[in-house]
Order: sequence, then C-alpha cells, then structure tokens
Amino acid sequence: MSLLPLEASGRRPAFFDAPGMDQILSMVLELAAELWVVRERVFILEAVLKKQGVAAADAVETYVPTEDEKAVLAKMRAEATANIFRTLNREHKAVT
Amino acid sequence: MPMELLHDLKVPHDQDTRARQDFVSTLRGYILNDMAAGMKSRYREAVEPVLTRDLGRAPATQDEVHAAMKHDLFFKFYSAVRYNAQEMVWRSVIPGIEAALPDMRAKAEVLGARAGGSLTLNPDLELPENVTAVDVHLMPGVYAAPDTPAAGAVYDNGLAVFSAGFMGRELNDIGMSMANYIRKRFPDFTPADILDCGCTVGHNTLAWARTYPEATVHGIDVSSSVLRYAHARAGSLGIPAHFHQMDATSLAFPDASFDVVFSSMFLHELSVKDIKRFFAEAYRVLRPGGLLVNMELPPNQALEPYDQFYLDWDCYYNAEPFYRAFRDQDYAGLTQAGGFAPEDYLQFTVPQYTYMDDADFTEAVQRPASIDGETGRLSATLQWFGFGAWKR
Repeated sequence: MSLLPLEASGRRPAFFDAPGMDQILSMVLELAAELWVVRERVFILEAVLKKQGVAAADAVETYVPTEDEKAVLAKMRAEATANIFRTLNREHKAVT
Repeated sequence: MPMELLHDLKVPHDQDTRARQDFVSTLRGYILNDMAAGMKSRYREAVEPVLTRDLGRAPATQDEVHAAMKHDLFFKFYSAVRYNAQEMVWRSVIPGIEAALPDMRAKAEVLGARAGGSLTLNPDLELPENVTAVDVHLMPGVYAAPDTPAAGAVYDNGLAVFSAGFMGRELNDIGMSMANYIRKRFPDFTPADILDCGCTVGHNTLAWARTYPEATVHGIDVSSSVLRYAHARAGSLGIPAHFHQMDATSLAFPDASFDVVFSSMFLHELSVKDIKRFFAEAYRVLRPGGLLVNMELPPNQALEPYDQFYLDWDCYYNAEPFYRAFRDQDYAGLTQAGGFAPEDYLQFTVPQYTYMDDADFTEAVQRPASIDGETGRLSATLQWFGFGAWKR
C-alpha cells in the first residue's frame, strides 16, 4: 500500500456549467502531458540512434513488434488510459 | 522547465517523469503569463464595461469582479487549467518520491549530520487545525508519513515544478531577495541570530545564512517531516542551520533571543488570530533593535478590485482558506497588535535578487515601495512584497 496519497482531500470545484466539461478538460490536459512525454522520448531516442549511425525513422516504419512487445505496449496503453480518465475514476469512487 | 534540485536528497526521476514535469512547469508558465494577460484583457474589454453599466458605477470590490468573471468562459478555462496544473504538479513528483522513500529517512540522517546544524523534534507538539484540516494548495496528504522526510520531499520537488523558474536555481529567491534587501537597505544592521518561522524545507532559511554568514540561523515548523528534510537538505548544501519542531504562535525560545524574525508565504496559511499571536511572540523573542520581516502577497487595500480578485484566486480555488482574510487586513495594524509601534512599521517591494546584477539590485532597493497588480504575482515582471517592524 502506498504511503503518500496522490489526490488532495476535499471536493474538486466545477468551473463549467455543462456536465462533464470539467472532467473533459482534465482529460485533455493529461492527454497533452502524455503526448509531450512521448514526443520528448522519441526525440531523444532518434538523436541517440543517429549518433550511433542508425536511421531510426526508416527502421520504425518497417518494424514488426514481437508478441511480448505487444503485451508491454498493451499494458502501457491501459495505464495511459487510466491516467487520462483519472477524474472519472474519482467520480466513480465517490458514487460507489 | 522545473528547477533541478541541487542537493543529495534529490529523487532520481526517470526520463518520462522529467518530461512530464517539464510539461507541467511550462503549462504553469503559460497560465501565469499568457493566460493571465489574456484574462485581464478580457476583463477590461468585455466584462468590466458591462459590469460598470449594470452597477451604474465602476466596480468597487473584488467580489463584484469575481461574481461577473465567474460567468466568463475565459475565466472558466483559466481556472480549470490552473486547478488541473496544480494537481498535476503533485502528481508528477509523488510516485518517484514514494519509490525513493524506503531509503530516504536513513539518507536524511546521514546528510543532516554533515554541516554542524541540528534537528530538534517535539513529538508532543499538537498540530494546529489549519494544517491538519485542509490539504493546503492541494498538496495531497501534507502530513502523511510523519516519521519520514516525505512531506518535505513532496514540497521541494513540487516547488521545483510549480515555481516554473520564478524562484531561482535553489528555489530560494524569496529568501535571497528579502535578506539582501535588508542587507543593502540597512548596512549597519548586522543580525547575529535569525529565526525563520514556518520554514518548511528551509529553502529560504538558508538564504539568510548565505546573506549573513556570521549569523546563527534557526528555522521552525510544526511538521516533523518537512524538518527532517530541511535538516538533511541544509547538511547536503553545507550550511549549518538549526531546525526545531515548534508552533510560531507559541515559541519555546526565551525573550530577546533573535535579531531577525522572518517568515515567507506563511502568514496567509494562518487565521488572523494566529497571525496576531505569532507577531506578539516575534516581538517577545526579538532583541531591542531587532526586525520582524515577512514576505507575503500585498494587502488588498493597496490594489484595485481586479488585482485583488486575481491574487485571491488561490483562496477560492486552491485550498488556501485563510488567504483572503489575511490580505484584507491592514498589515501595519497586525504588527501593532503584536506590540510593535506604528512608527516602526516597514514595507517594501523588491525585485528578484537571483536574476539581477548586484549594482542594479542595490539601486532598486533604495526606491520607495510601489505596489501594483504585478506585485507578488508570479509573472515575468515579478516584484516581491515585504513588511514588518523594528522593535525599539
């Protein structure tokens, strides 16, 4: 069990009148953060490879992942999805 | 970009986490500069004219401004993005700290012993309600894991992301700017004993030690966790400082123990009653000729209604319940309630020491205080605000 909570106590304020709009905005921001994380990683990866003489951009286009690699990617997608929809999760917890 | 922590309690965040922190920090900079400027224009051009027409006069209070802005779509986006960014600050640092926690306590003890400072905890100290009832500035579980330096780590790492470059390399620009203001403005004043109240991780406490290397520097806080971290952090940076678990409204120091009693970003976490109790204690522990000096947000009475509303956003939406009640006070009156004489009151604005050369800073501190909508506001044209009083 984790010692440190990730969420502050208290109720999240609603800034928008339309139901769900506040949650959508949180999702958009989390999504933007996820996207930035990936863009930065790809940027670094390609730079590293280029220094080693690998034309990464071409290799990526033709690459076929193994079954194990596919399982890793699936897990990453599930985690990213949970993070993007974190506010809905919280609503759900409040209801049940 | 978040500031990279420069001491050995630094948590080793992985590449993806660092990228996430970069994103959040950049987002904060965008909100506080670009979106804030956009919102002010929106108010001036669209909201204020309608409000003035409806009221039959210019808006006179921040409540009138707030009530009108609540319906404005730009304000809704500004607030929602800022609120989310605040949550994302903490979320971007906590998992890495959680992972580092098993080794952190032992590491903190080793580092703390390095520089000749000290740590005095008081397990019997009752935590005041203002720090237990609310997760202030949305920092989750402020007092979780009190036997570890966790809360200090969350605060320090969080501040590195949150500050978005506004608080200097060592996150100590507030302390450096305030201490150097005093040093430049009052060159004959040479404090021997300095106390920082509500010091959290001691980031601004150490600024006083850097500015007055001959002085003995103490920091107090009610949280054992932030003090464990502060002690280790100071040790790692090679600065001897003495940290005590103590409540600023009831100091355990004898009368006339200090030449400076300092606080920064602290008063707005206290009720007005507790601020008065703290100032009375500050008066008691100061020596004659000593100085109480606080870095804070400027008082509402010095600002026009829109700027009052802008700064008090934190009170409404960032879990800062005492923020506005404090800013509505007459600050000189608060020091007088503590026993300081009206003629000994002092207030000033100061530019950021970290980002200026010494000559420009020296010139700037000679200017009288000039308070406007930029004072105390994290933005590209930031000026810190300070006030306090001399004890005769």
